Amino acid sequence: MDIDVECTDGFGSESYAKLFEDIMSDIGKAAHIEKARIKLDPHTPLFVFSVKLKAEPANKTIGDVANVRSEGPDSHITITDERYAPDILNQLWKAYGRASVDQQTRFDMNVRNASAADITKMVISSGEEYLKEIVGSLWRTMPEGIKNRHTFIDGPVVTVVATEEMFQPGMLEEGQKIHKAMCGDA
Amino acid sequence: MFKVMMYDGGVYRSGELYELIDDVGGVVLQKNRSAQMLSVIMSIPEEDVKTVEALCIDIGGVVKPVPLAGTEIAVVGPTLGRHHMPHPICDIAEELRRYGAITVVMGLARGRGKATAQINLEERMIIEEYDAAVFSLGNFKECIEAKKDLFKDVRVPVVLVSGPQLEGLEGYCDAIVSGVGRKSARMRTAPERAKLDEIADRVEDVLEHKKELIEEDPLFVHPGEIKSILENYEPVDMCLRPSPLVLHLDGIRVKIPYEEHAEIIGNMEVYGRKLKDVCTITPSKINDSSILIRIKTVSEIAYDDAKKAAEKK
Repeated sequence: MDIDVECTDGFGSESYAKLFEDIMSDIGKAAHIEKARIKLDPHTPLFVFSVKLKAEPANKTIGDVANVRSEGPDSHITITDERYAPDILNQLWKAYGRASVDQQTRFDMNVRNASAADITKMVISSGEEYLKEIVGSLWRTMPEGIKNRHTFIDGPVVTVVATEEMFQPGMLEEGQKIHKAMCGDA
Repeated sequence: MFKVMMYDGGVYRSGELYELIDDVGGVVLQKNRSAQMLSVIMSIPEEDVKTVEALCIDIGGVVKPVPLAGTEIAVVGPTLGRHHMPHPICDIAEELRRYGAITVVMGLARGRGKATAQINLEERMIIEEYDAAVFSLGNFKECIEAKKDLFKDVRVPVVLVSGPQLEGLEGYCDAIVSGVGRKSARMRTAPERAKLDEIADRVEDVLEHKKELIEEDPLFVHPGEIKSILENYEPVDMCLRPSPLVLHLDGIRVKIPYEEHAEIIGNMEVYGRKLKDVCTITPSKINDSSILIRIKTVSEIAYDDAKKAAEKK
């Protein structure tokens, strides 16, 4: 993850780069972020946190993260992205019941009396939920007192502009400038 | 002046140790026995420390310093939100416990933000119940300087822990330790452990100064002696809360309700006087869950005696 911090306070700059990386790793989002740009201005106060995700948030289906093939009346699934294994299992249990789903190894599972086409189309993670998690993780990284926030989302770029009390003229424009610069990199 | 230390060893000949502590006028603050192993935290008059140390070694134990034993310290953060908890506030509290202190972690209701941070009277009075307070603030110099109002009126020693190096705040607190700031992971690396030691050392320094001030006009009785009396009081003995009796430098916290027990405790006797005559007994500001006993100094007692004598005439 490439992190670029712009800060008027020397200590804050270094510690926020570390804090951002630690919090994103803790909540499992570090692997999803390609680039981050953070602007910290405690004097104003104005905080802009902008991240470019590796992929645009969209609904993920089992077909996106696993190979599915028919084996007679049953279907066999080979997971290619292990991060989604719990979600796949959860959706299969919901649709076919625990008795029909047989997980043979970490990556392989067999589903009795299920069509491969139906399984391939099953949604395991919604793009909206994913975006909520990303925005939540950015809020968590920001200082606690910075409660007035505005979010810009364009494709894979998410930018949160925040201040302590009211947005002053120019604050949102400042955030939008950074947001556009991140989009331009896309 | 009394010095607090810990004997760590076996139970063999421990009776001799207790006898010696009693003979030199010392007090056992805490005793822990596990099978044949024993640890005793005691408060000993400074001039007799060497004699007690010699006996501890003679009976096969070791003597360890616990510089913060007999104190209760509040570690205060801007809030109890996940931005500030559990790191570094709990790391600091844990380190202080390693030095022998009893600690509490406290978050202010509105301590976050640069322009909106504030502390109310009730919070300040709760902090003042403790021997010292450690305020852990964040990463931005400007924000910490703006938050000096949180601790400037607190009337117990304050150690300020912050990220950046601060200037001009020396008059608002008793010590400043920089280089910690906001953290999201446990302080476990060698430089971070060294920083925690530095915080504990600063707390020790400010409390040492407080002890010296107390020594100038000594307390009528040592808090440990009141602890020995209260240990035999059944509600304290039956109390299931951790450490029902917590020593302070100038008194003791008793974790039983004030309304029910204050009068009985006040009528207990110490050196031929009632406890209520030699101590100020008040309820804790947290709720009615504990009683605070502050021991009067020798000069305060002399003043009270003179006043009573004058009234009799």
